[in-house]
Amino acid sequence: MRRITLTLNGASITREVQDSRLLVEFLREDLRLTGTKESCGVGVCGACTVLLDGYPISACLTLAVHVHGCAVTTIEGVAEGDRLHRLQEAFLAHGGLQCGICTPGQILAAKALLDANPHPTRAEIQHWMMGNLCRCTGYYKIIESIAAACGAE
Amino acid sequence: MAATELSGKAVGLSVQRADGIAKVTGRARYAGDIELPGTLFGRCLRSPHASARIVSIDARRARALPGVHAVLTGADVPDTRYGRLCKDIPLLAKGVARFVGEKVAAVAADSVEIAEAALELIDVAYAELPAVFVPEDAMRPKAPVIHPEAVEIAAGAATRSHGELRMYPPIPNVISRFTMRHGDVAAALARAHRIFEHQFAVPSVHQGYIEPHTCLVSIGVDGLVDVWVANKGPHIARGHMAEAIGVPEDRVRFNPVAIGGDFGGKGSLMDTLLCHCLARATGRPVRFVMNSFEELTAGNPRHSAAITLRTGVDADAKLLAIEARVIFNAGAYAGFIPAPTLHGGYAEFAGAYRVPNCALEVLRVYTNTVPRGHMRAPGAPQVAFAVEIHIDMIAHEMRLDPLEMRQRNAITDGDLTPHGETRRHLRCRETIEAGARAFGWHRPKPPAVGRGIALYEHPSGSFGRSTVTLTLGSNGRFTLMVGSPDTGTGFHTIAAQLVAEHFGVAAAVVDVVQGDTLTSGFEAGSSGQRVTTTVGQAVAAAAERMKQDLTALAAERLNCAPGDVRLGEDGSLAAAGATIGLAPLMSWAAARGKAPLRCQGENDPGRPNDRTSFVAHFAEVAVDTETGQVRLRRVVTAHDVGTIVNPLTHQGQIEGGLMQAVGQALSERIVLQDGAVITAHLGDYKLPTSMDIPELETVLLPGGSGAAPFATTAIGEMSNVALPAAITNAVFDAVGVRLLELPVRAEQVLEGLSDRAGAA
Repeated sequence: MRRITLTLNGASITREVQDSRLLVEFLREDLRLTGTKESCGVGVCGACTVLLDGYPISACLTLAVHVHGCAVTTIEGVAEGDRLHRLQEAFLAHGGLQCGICTPGQILAAKALLDANPHPTRAEIQHWMMGNLCRCTGYYKIIESIAAACGAE
Repeated sequence: MAATELSGKAVGLSVQRADGIAKVTGRARYAGDIELPGTLFGRCLRSPHASARIVSIDARRARALPGVHAVLTGADVPDTRYGRLCKDIPLLAKGVARFVGEKVAAVAADSVEIAEAALELIDVAYAELPAVFVPEDAMRPKAPVIHPEAVEIAAGAATRSHGELRMYPPIPNVISRFTMRHGDVAAALARAHRIFEHQFAVPSVHQGYIEPHTCLVSIGVDGLVDVWVANKGPHIARGHMAEAIGVPEDRVRFNPVAIGGDFGGKGSLMDTLLCHCLARATGRPVRFVMNSFEELTAGNPRHSAAITLRTGVDADAKLLAIEARVIFNAGAYAGFIPAPTLHGGYAEFAGAYRVPNCALEVLRVYTNTVPRGHMRAPGAPQVAFAVEIHIDMIAHEMRLDPLEMRQRNAITDGDLTPHGETRRHLRCRETIEAGARAFGWHRPKPPAVGRGIALYEHPSGSFGRSTVTLTLGSNGRFTLMVGSPDTGTGFHTIAAQLVAEHFGVAAAVVDVVQGDTLTSGFEAGSSGQRVTTTVGQAVAAAAERMKQDLTALAAERLNCAPGDVRLGEDGSLAAAGATIGLAPLMSWAAARGKAPLRCQGENDPGRPNDRTSFVAHFAEVAVDTETGQVRLRRVVTAHDVGTIVNPLTHQGQIEGGLMQAVGQALSERIVLQDGAVITAHLGDYKLPTSMDIPELETVLLPGGSGAAPFATTAIGEMSNVALPAAITNAVFDAVGVRLLELPVRAEQVLEGLSDRAGAA
């Protein structure tokens, strides 16, 4: 067991965790933040994407102890209260989601892009989002949603 | 067909998804998100052998591991066999394991880690038995018989086709043999100008839903079994579970959860019965989540198929007769699908064409491989691939443009389908033409660039019972309760729009809730592109009843006869110069104890549709002649559509289906080695990513002939079926390499190129 302190969705928290605890388990099971989804478990699908100091990572490949001293953003921290983030609004308006299981990861990956590059080209969006699999949408509307959120085109 | 008048407030608008906010904020609850106090984690030990006798299992060390609450082997679970039609799946292997990945023992423990550690401590002694991996071997007279005992078949299940079906015929390992004849094939072939015969192979692919199979079972002190499971048809699954565990249906409650993608793969109980055994053994709730390795190696992927087509044409390349033989590899168990054979394996085998004489044989065969299940338009992608390449090959031999070949043979009104059925308002030719125009079929193209076309025909699903409950509250808002989840398609949002349309109100005043299986009426669930049509008709029935109740209420309020009341705009009711809105009327009714109004609507479709839809896909590829790499540059997809309830979700179905087809065409393949799935990782099993999308243009031909009440047509299974053939045909057009199996692989293209170079 190890004590870790992190900034989670803007608030500082301290918890005891086992060395072997994965970040995805820590979030979902210890903190009951189930918006972060786990699918492939091997860092390929992107469903468990969270932001670590603003950068997208796979929570299924990251040990909870590794986020000590870092800022972690999960999907629960993207909206401000009831006010949705422009990416969330855009995903709703442009059909960027269907079953929704990959959506938290998609939105966090897109947020990292827009935070670093507020006006990406469509090709940049397409390339950046390659690590987040979606089986429902065929990606077109995810790309459209992100482009709309940053006023691309 | 009478024009369908719409209010402009509901049907036809891109209404935002009802479940959208929950999903973009992470608040939607899937089966894996449900927390119950004291939940244990279940894991399975799986067979490393494709066919083996289980000599002994020693689980003592596993049982002794701290944190382990139960270890079950085949000896500890009931003899029940589960299946959606063929009841052949044991809860755990009993005495014999039939595929690599079959569940042999199960553990419930305080954590997944402990459960997995316990699996390592279970000693199983196996004696390997002869195995068969492909149907051709499995059907040989001396082949090892995978299920020597008689398999029970669920009562009341029959094919809806007029062909001849034999379950478990006297051919080794054959589950079903379906034959169908129409016309006189022998006579037609005897007078054919030319006869062509080709063989095709389509591998298994995984449905690729991102949410793995997940279930949670909790048994209450009163014996009520509560289930949270990623299943698209909770009422049917509840019935199967109740029967399997021997309790009345009302002692099992399937609770509503969001589903993280289905695509046909989530119709079975998968681990739920085993989960129940562990919950009973431990007295605690138990959760099972398949990991992605298990999903790929031991899920229920699409049937692989070998297809032989033999076709006679006249001198004008008109189809005279087709003989088809389709052999589906079902793997070790038949129970994952609810039908004797794959509907698409016969219904769509030449659906877009006029073929006066047909003979079809479809076999579904056991092998010692991963059990196969349904995937989006079951059977159709396999058969459509074969048919659409075969047609192209005939066109080439007959020196005919592939487009002209299809136009010449396209089915039109008055033609019989290959089944000898009639369908009306057929727009196959118009669909081809509209797509070809948008695509620029005849435009010049650079070298090593090719274009291909493929067609598909499929009616809206008109089967399975639906029951909905419509409530109109004292505030004038509607609530529609349905009994099955929105698997992601937008079904719940569409249901809200349909309710709203009946009353001329905005969809925003309709809430759709999914009831559990105790509170909601029977609903067959999302399958066979049925819900918009079939649930839509149940919604219409409920709305009709509610209009009568509303009219009576308004008549009372407005002091007139019910016959004088008219439903006006925005749901208002008018009679003799007076008008009252829904909300004030219902508020008035509430004060008199007459609210809410509640009506049930049912639909039990008696017969299949006589309407259908067509799609024509056009693909353009560029082939790198040095590496054989194929790049999909552009797709035009042309759809024959009726009224579109929600343009945004409709287009979402088209795009999502297309990219599944792109995966099947260019990268996805479950590879078996000695019966074991070796593409066991999402790194090896390559789903398309955002980098793989082609430039896409969608052409919609509105005015198609749809089903009542609003002339809608289905879209769910239209876009994913035929595109792989269009892509493969485009490769031939680009470089002259004819591929007869999927996926299109660079190695095969390169081999084809060097064969051609050698021959030249």
